[in-house]
Amino acid sequence: MAVTDKMPELIGKSPLRVDVHGKVTGAAIYTDDIQFGKNLLYARVKRSPHPHALIKKIDTSKAEALPGVKVIVTGKDYPQRIGLYLKDKNIFATDRVRFVGEAVAGVAAVNEEIAEKACELIEVEYELLEPVFDSIYGASPDAPLIHPDMGDYEVANFIFPKPGTNISNHFKARKGDVDRAWKDCAAIVEKSFHIPQVQHVPIEPHIAIAKTDDNGRVTLWASSQSPFAQRNLIAKTLGISESDMRVIAPYVGGGFGCKAGVTMEAMPVAIALKAKGHPVKMRFTREEEFYTNFVRQGLKIKLKVGCDKDGNMLAMENTMYWDGGASTEYGVNITRAGGYSSTGPFDIPNVKTDSFCVYTNHPIGGAYRGFGMSELHTGIGQVMDELAEKIGMDKVEFLKRNSIQGGDINVTGMKMHPIGLQECIDKVAKGINWGVKEKASSDNKLRGKGIAISWKAPAMPPNAGSSAFIEMNEDGTATVNVGGQEIGQGAFTVAAQIAAATIGLPMEDIRIAGPLDTQYSPYEWQTVASRLTWSMGNAVRFAAADARRQILEMVAEAWDEDVDDLDIINGIVVSYRSEKEMSLKNIAVYGIPKEDDQGWIGGPVVGQGSFMPSYVTGLDPETGQGPRAVVHYTTGAQGFDIEIDKDTGKIEILKAVTAFDVGRALNPELVKAQMEGGMMQGISSAIFEEIILEEGVMQNPSFVDYRIATTVDVPRVMETYFVEVPQDDGPFGARGIGEHPMTPTIAALGNAIYDATGIRLEGPPFLPEKVYLAMKDAGILD
Amino acid sequence: MISYHQITLKVNGETEVVNVPANMTLLVMLREEMGLTGVKNGCAAGECGACTVLMNGEPVNSCMVLAAECDGAEVITVEGLSHNGQLIKLQEMLIAKGGVQCGFCTPGMLISAFALLKRNPDPSENEIREALVGNLCRCTGYVRIIDAVKASVEK
Amino acid sequence: MLYRRQARRYNTYKRKKTMLNPHPGLPEFTYVKLASLDEACGFLVEHAGEARLISGGTDLLVRMRDKAFKPAYVVDIKGLEGTDVLAFDPSSGLKIGAAVPMNRVVAHPDVQKHYPLLAQAAKSVASYQLRNRATIVGNICNASPAGDTLGACLLLGGRLNIYGKDGERFEDLVTFFKGPGKTSLQPGEIVTSINFPLPEKGATGTYLKLGRNKLSDLAIVGVTVYGFPDKMTESGFRIKVALASVAATPLMPPVVETVLSENEITEDTIQEAANASMDACFPIDDVRGSARYRKEMVRNLTRNAITEVWGQLQSRTENGLEANR
Ligand SMILES: Cc1cc2nc3c(=O)[nH]c(=O)nc-3n(C[C@H](O)[C@H](O)[C@H](O)COP(=O)(O)OP(=O)(O)OC[C@H]3O[C@@H](n4cnc5c(N)ncnc54)[C@H](O)[C@@H]3O)c2cc1C
Ligand code: FES
Ligand code: FES
Repeated sequence: MAVTDKMPELIGKSPLRVDVHGKVTGAAIYTDDIQFGKNLLYARVKRSPHPHALIKKIDTSKAEALPGVKVIVTGKDYPQRIGLYLKDKNIFATDRVRFVGEAVAGVAAVNEEIAEKACELIEVEYELLEPVFDSIYGASPDAPLIHPDMGDYEVANFIFPKPGTNISNHFKARKGDVDRAWKDCAAIVEKSFHIPQVQHVPIEPHIAIAKTDDNGRVTLWASSQSPFAQRNLIAKTLGISESDMRVIAPYVGGGFGCKAGVTMEAMPVAIALKAKGHPVKMRFTREEEFYTNFVRQGLKIKLKVGCDKDGNMLAMENTMYWDGGASTEYGVNITRAGGYSSTGPFDIPNVKTDSFCVYTNHPIGGAYRGFGMSELHTGIGQVMDELAEKIGMDKVEFLKRNSIQGGDINVTGMKMHPIGLQECIDKVAKGINWGVKEKASSDNKLRGKGIAISWKAPAMPPNAGSSAFIEMNEDGTATVNVGGQEIGQGAFTVAAQIAAATIGLPMEDIRIAGPLDTQYSPYEWQTVASRLTWSMGNAVRFAAADARRQILEMVAEAWDEDVDDLDIINGIVVSYRSEKEMSLKNIAVYGIPKEDDQGWIGGPVVGQGSFMPSYVTGLDPETGQGPRAVVHYTTGAQGFDIEIDKDTGKIEILKAVTAFDVGRALNPELVKAQMEGGMMQGISSAIFEEIILEEGVMQNPSFVDYRIATTVDVPRVMETYFVEVPQDDGPFGARGIGEHPMTPTIAALGNAIYDATGIRLEGPPFLPEKVYLAMKDAGILD
Repeated sequence: MISYHQITLKVNGETEVVNVPANMTLLVMLREEMGLTGVKNGCAAGECGACTVLMNGEPVNSCMVLAAECDGAEVITVEGLSHNGQLIKLQEMLIAKGGVQCGFCTPGMLISAFALLKRNPDPSENEIREALVGNLCRCTGYVRIIDAVKASVEK
Repeated sequence: MLYRRQARRYNTYKRKKTMLNPHPGLPEFTYVKLASLDEACGFLVEHAGEARLISGGTDLLVRMRDKAFKPAYVVDIKGLEGTDVLAFDPSSGLKIGAAVPMNRVVAHPDVQKHYPLLAQAAKSVASYQLRNRATIVGNICNASPAGDTLGACLLLGGRLNIYGKDGERFEDLVTFFKGPGKTSLQPGEIVTSINFPLPEKGATGTYLKLGRNKLSDLAIVGVTVYGFPDKMTESGFRIKVALASVAATPLMPPVVETVLSENEITEDTIQEAANASMDACFPIDDVRGSARYRKEMVRNLTRNAITEVWGQLQSRTENGLEANR
């Protein structure tokens, strides 16, 4: 695929978002805004209060007797298992519960109050089992089994569960000979880190409405990043044919991964199947959003890295224990991504990686912006910082010397495509005035700087596809149909831009068909993995090229000219040869009449395009080696200049700088907006966020005690840069940028704290309390 | 026992008479009784600001107000900011500066910012940040929202 | 048990045994709006244990949703006589009605001029929109040790005006708090306003609140300091401290006041007072912070707050303000 012949004018410009008018007037429709009329039922969920227990008996009789209750379902009604990569979950717990908050029964009633009351009336008898709250312990032979039947579960062929243990995936990478390499190292650093679970916290909580028609067809309206994956997974699990299940997905009020795959959406469907004709609405309270929703998995990571006397990396040993939670249907692939990316963007000749996904009695781990990369880089970014120091090298120089470059063979044996990581490092180093020791603003403060780099590839099955079609309208505009979701990132705007640029239309002449509807929208695997601009972008580009070809062929025939002499500029077909012009109005639908009323040429123009990366290969289960583990990597760097208050331990970020190589910034303002938002989410997770679990019970399931960054927490100065080394398989050379800006944040801040205090904390959040008490214990406060 | 209350109030300029149960919040009344779904529910606990509306000219968390308390009140929601399709400057600037991503925080954000500019037509950056501290946004990192408010100051 | 061997959090605290899953909406209740204090008081007496007052509702509604409070009746105090008053009288002081939202207090020119400490404390509560509902009297009646305005109200000599079945009574705020959520209010009693005497001549103060976010969070600890020139003391000044979130009720350790009045105020005596402040509190471990950290913070913030107030007092003295006395 050629990157591009000639860059259309609209590429690299920043037209305004296409979805924004309704969003500022309150007219934009989100899932909970759809009106369903009087027939609507409301569903609530009975949840487990125990982290690990057998269900002995469920008595729903009292609840059933409550006036207003329509349907109650339990795990008995749906014994089927569901899951994206590993089918290890039930819609409602069947014989055992595995985390506090797990759904045990669902009730639909005429209003939420009655449904909630009915849940209280459901009596469940449990037999408590010994729980597992630690991933390393969970992986040990001593730990009680959480999924004794794991051996029977259906699993994707690139996931390797270990039946008879709590290990649901073990990814191995072996490159070179680590044991021999240690002998040649002049400096070695060994360190462990613990990254706690965090929550996604979209401002719109989960919501889904399901309805079964008389003929058994099911419609699901959901705040969803993945209407097609939901259709597929839910239909398969419940024995519905995919085409008899329809998913409608309006605007999403923030996803960040938590509305990918199937999280809660199967529950309303399961209930609606037994309440024919009634729409059944289930919406999570903020508290449920916090403690029952998929989380970013916790990680315990042990790293050993070494370099020679000149600071060249020689070896890395990386052992990761992911706290996958009660079921790891999605998390197993995060474990895999952590494995095949386990070196971070470093060129290391000898690598030994073991990445374990471990069942625990904690909330279920799922996809979260970065898909394991924030956690992984928290470890890598900080050990590299220490290794540079140990060998006595400037840290930025060390990063530049060891960072991976185009042509290098990475940890899985894949040859790296050209990347602009070096330039990103330079931009960040310059931005934070690296190398200049600056004075703190008062005696009470300690100042420090830190920098870290990261990479991330779209993590997905090898055959994740995209498709698009474009219909021309009578007025000369084009309606772009896609199956990828607008979750705030600007996907619709970029799709419009690619279509406009490719066909030759002004931006205002593009409409994006919405809301997404699996009945009308073309297939898209999922809106995840920072893959839309790239993958859906390719599909849109092909569809637009197809539409353009049809138009030009029609006009060429009408004018009796060669297609190569024609062009479409701002919605007008022009000939460079005859200098004729014709507006797209009418012709793109009705065609062009032949002279003398001798019939017509053309007809409704519909362009179609699809894209699937067909070149990703499998990896050897023992060594993790294979020609191409992933499609490509987006790389970048981030740095902070901070001050720490000696009286409280509070961190103040004076300056935050980040730079990523996005291949081509199709819409620079949207790219920057992703970098700002992502970096801020990273900062928030680094200094505030943690799901505090005590014996499986979340202690802070509300905004009162799960703090996220607010307006006053934004650094005074934030700089974002992009670098453009084009990607050969991306539209106009583009790569994804949605997730990456938060992946190096924790490490970069950890390095800045170390620079300021000499203290290396075991993990985030870098709360004032932790920083202060560590300084106190280290004797650096008087 | 639940009580019901007939209340009369003005919503976006229109007088409305509604019969509300005691436990209905202003948020639920606006969304579910009046179809003003621009008002968002992000927490129902006064924490996120997505439900912010103007009540008698001042911003309140509509999830923290009982509908029954609103007899005689004047309420303005995001739907009431623009008139006849004419956006107000804040809305325009939020678009121009890129301060909207998923858009779920936007209605509450607009109301808080609108109220700020009304009581303080020329706020400093600090004042802007403080006035918006009760409006959580997970997408934008706030930078462009703050920029949009700055750009809306009529000089 | 086996899992005791598993890693534990860096600080431990009393954990919640069961999971809280608040109701999506508010439970059922009867909303009551009455014409007079007398009627309201009569209603509360008649329905003792079943009725609760609502002012701004920002505490009450949250607790009702959490099912911590299950009142059958919610009685609105807004509109009852005297609860809407916000008035300053140069001879007697400030009166803040029970239904006056914090923003009105913060914006009031006389509050800004004579009681800036109160405005500062109120401004640290939650968010602007919440303060349009939240009231100072509600903050007080809620009696959370974390209440941000309690310290200022205590140090400024707040006195509650309370209406009960036997008529009106006054109570100094100092005796009002009995424990978390517990006050000296008797069944049927309604706080109608809080009243403050004129501030001491040359007085100044500050509230230092440590939250996780820079603003809008609840206090991990809060330190209020109020000081004024006082010829009767050895040092020539009287400086008082109130502490939030470090005991079951707001604390006003008298020892701090003693240290700073009986000795010349220097960096050393300020440090001594700060240490005394730390020793006087007995915080617990909770999800917001450990007892150990809280104690340290009480010391450091007390020192910083006193230093700030002391600096202001000195510069005022130099500017001749003291001559007014
Ligand atoms: C999101 C959020 C953030 C918050 N942040 C803070 C914060 O940062 N700092 C802080 O201090 N507080 C905070 N609070 C708590 C609350 O806002 C304050 O305590 C507020 O001052 C309460 O005032 P109110 O008028 O809303 O009280 P209400 O909720 O109306 O009443 C509080 C209690 O007092 C009783 N009561 C009310 N009026 C009277 C009366 N006149 N006589 C007798 N009893 C009465 C009520 O029955 C109730 O039990 C927060 C609350 C929320 C929801
Ligand atoms: S919904 Fe009202 S503040 Fe969150
Ligand atoms: S734009 Fe998504 S929460 Fe603000």
